[in-house]
Amino acid sequence: MIELRGLGKRFGERVLFEGLDLDLVPGRTTVIMGRSGSGKSTLLRMINQLERHDAGVVRLSPIEIPAGLPHAEWSRRATALRRRTGMVFQGYQLFGHLNVLDNVTLAPRIVQRVPRAAAEQQARSLLELVGMAQAVTRFPARLSGGEAQRVAIARALATQPEVLLLDEPTSALDPGSTADVVRVIGDLKARGFTLAMVTHDPVLGHQLADELIELD
Amino acid sequence: MSRVLVALMLAGAMLTGALSAQAPLPERYREAGVIRWGADAEGGAPFVYLDAGQPARGEVGFEVDLAKALGELLGVEFRRVQAPYENLVQVLDRGDCDVVLNGFEPTPARRDLVRFSRPYYIFQQQLSVGPQVRDVRSLADLVGRRVGVLGQSRSHELLRAQPGLEVVVYESNVTAYEDVVNGRNAASLADLPIARAMRPLFPQLVDVGEPFDAFYYCMAVRRGEPDLQRALDAALGELLANGSLERIYRAWDLWVPAEARLGDAEVASAFADDGVRAAGAIDWGMALPLLGLGALRTLGISVAAFVFAVVLGLVVALLRLHGPRPLRWCAVAYVELLRGTPILVQLLLLYYGLGQIEGMQLTAMQAGVLGLGLNYAAYEAEIYRGALSAIPRAQREAAMALGLTTAQSLRQVVVPQALRLSLAPSTNDFIALFKDSSIVMVITVVELTKQYQMLANVTGRFIVLGLVTSGFYLLMSLPLAYAARRFEQKLDRDGA
Ligand SMILES: Nc1ncnc2c1ncn2[C@@H]1O[C@H](COP(=O)(O)OP(=O)(O)OP(=O)(O)O)[C@@H](O)[C@H]1O
Ligand SMILES: [Mg+2]
Repeated sequence: MIELRGLGKRFGERVLFEGLDLDLVPGRTTVIMGRSGSGKSTLLRMINQLERHDAGVVRLSPIEIPAGLPHAEWSRRATALRRRTGMVFQGYQLFGHLNVLDNVTLAPRIVQRVPRAAAEQQARSLLELVGMAQAVTRFPARLSGGEAQRVAIARALATQPEVLLLDEPTSALDPGSTADVVRVIGDLKARGFTLAMVTHDPVLGHQLADELIELD
Repeated sequence: MSRVLVALMLAGAMLTGALSAQAPLPERYREAGVIRWGADAEGGAPFVYLDAGQPARGEVGFEVDLAKALGELLGVEFRRVQAPYENLVQVLDRGDCDVVLNGFEPTPARRDLVRFSRPYYIFQQQLSVGPQVRDVRSLADLVGRRVGVLGQSRSHELLRAQPGLEVVVYESNVTAYEDVVNGRNAASLADLPIARAMRPLFPQLVDVGEPFDAFYYCMAVRRGEPDLQRALDAALGELLANGSLERIYRAWDLWVPAEARLGDAEVASAFADDGVRAAGAIDWGMALPLLGLGALRTLGISVAAFVFAVVLGLVVALLRLHGPRPLRWCAVAYVELLRGTPILVQLLLLYYGLGQIEGMQLTAMQAGVLGLGLNYAAYEAEIYRGALSAIPRAQREAAMALGLTTAQSLRQVVVPQALRLSLAPSTNDFIALFKDSSIVMVITVVELTKQYQMLANVTGRFIVLGLVTSGFYLLMSLPLAYAARRFEQKLDRDGA
């Protein structure tokens, strides 16, 4: 379980969070909503430490990341934490120089040192899960938005994360693609994945949320 | 006005009159009042040079004195034009000077290209060795050893005629001697006047054996100007007869017994009968392999230097963008330093500068590859920096979110994509380096352009050899450009 305790974050003068507590409970889906600029992305990025916090602590037992660690130590712990989380970005951020299969196998091979054959086998079943099994040799620039986002979800799942973070996974998609991606996310929820998702879409938010957080 | 003075002036007028009646200076030179003489003042003692000890004196040298005497006799100003020694013939041919006066020897190859005056000096050869070399008395003792020499000189010709020597060609006697002092070469052969003039600069060198051989310094004019040649011949005859030549040479400690023969008829007329001969024929059986060899060397140097530049450039760019602060500054300093100074200076520093330090001596090839590599690394670094910055930050974050470390993210995600972006500008740089590599000729590497220059100088066939040389360059650069384009098309198809 990821716990945020007394989290504080400011950009210059602007205080974005102060004394924020949040638990991402295993098997539950936390939906974060709120107006633009309220700090939804920042909160999500603090969970996997793409953004550092100024106060409080982020915990994924036994990893503990208090604010103000020296850079090297913070970087070591942040990497360890990220290895147990996955993230899906609004703009997909697939790796343009790698085909679909290699996008999915990169982290298992580099981070977890899974042999290529095993990594590819696992990647194929993940791509099956998101309905992209037919696209293994295609390159990201040749995918539609919905296809790219489903590959991005498969990529994020490839390291078998304990929590999947999704930042507006559907906001760049047309309705058809949105439906595909929502089906995949619903599927993950049904299989008991722990999810934290930022969304602007109240219907989607209420449909999926076990916990709902409104930022203002 | 005293009678003596009037008499002197009359005699002077008659003298000039007699001279001009015999071989008048061509109309255009009398009208212009100027004859431009080409010479190389670099390493030019005792011919024409700047005396480092007394720079205020301006250019000095026995040929400066000779030019002044000729000018006074012919009633025109002799004005010096700077030209690289190895290109004097071309500079003359192009009309950038009217006369070559620079310890210029009437070699058979040059006699095909220009017209020579009567000899104004007879010079001999002096062999000099380094301080550690004990066993050498003559050229025959140097078999298998490296001997430096000024390119396209009489000394060069004599060395080539001596079997078994490893001859290293220089563009200046200073650098040829420099490499004997620092031990790269065992010995250097030079004209006696040069050896004498340089001795104070290189006290470590030892002259061995008696001066030998005897050959001439002559002035050269364009082939189509026999009138100018005859006028110069007459003037030289006059300076010899009235003792001016001897006075000048004695002042420079150059009057040796051999000079007595300057007045001999067969010496004076040695080159008078040179007709206008056709430009030299090209022996393709010899020229093509030489050019091919030069091309291979150019290719080797370029590839080695570029591999070096790519690796170092990438390291510098990564340090500049992602390194710790002090290294970031070092990377910036490196790029600015290497881009902001001429590559020529860098090469000379690497080769001759380091050559003066014990244990830091590089071969010409090593210095050439290193110099080009270091220099181009600065340009590559800027290309990579631009490309690395062009990869969105979110790509790196996506990799880090998967648990890759910063270094792994750069290595696996950012750098590969940046390298693809750099491919086109980098290929351009390689082609530029490939052509710029000819600059290593200044540190004695004989690559394609240098080989062309030497062949063309001997034969005078600048056009046809130039076209063939260009063909060699294209033969090497076109496939490369083609391959790069194909690769880019493949990347485009992938959308990568
Ligand atoms: N690196 C940064 N430096 C300064 N200000 C920042 C930085 N990142 C975010 N902010 C500011 O913090 C606030 C919250 O940003 P954030 O991206 O978290 O908002 P958001 O809720 O995700 O908005 P949106 O719905 O538009 O995505 C914004 O006002 C933003 O301008
Ligand atoms: Mg956002």
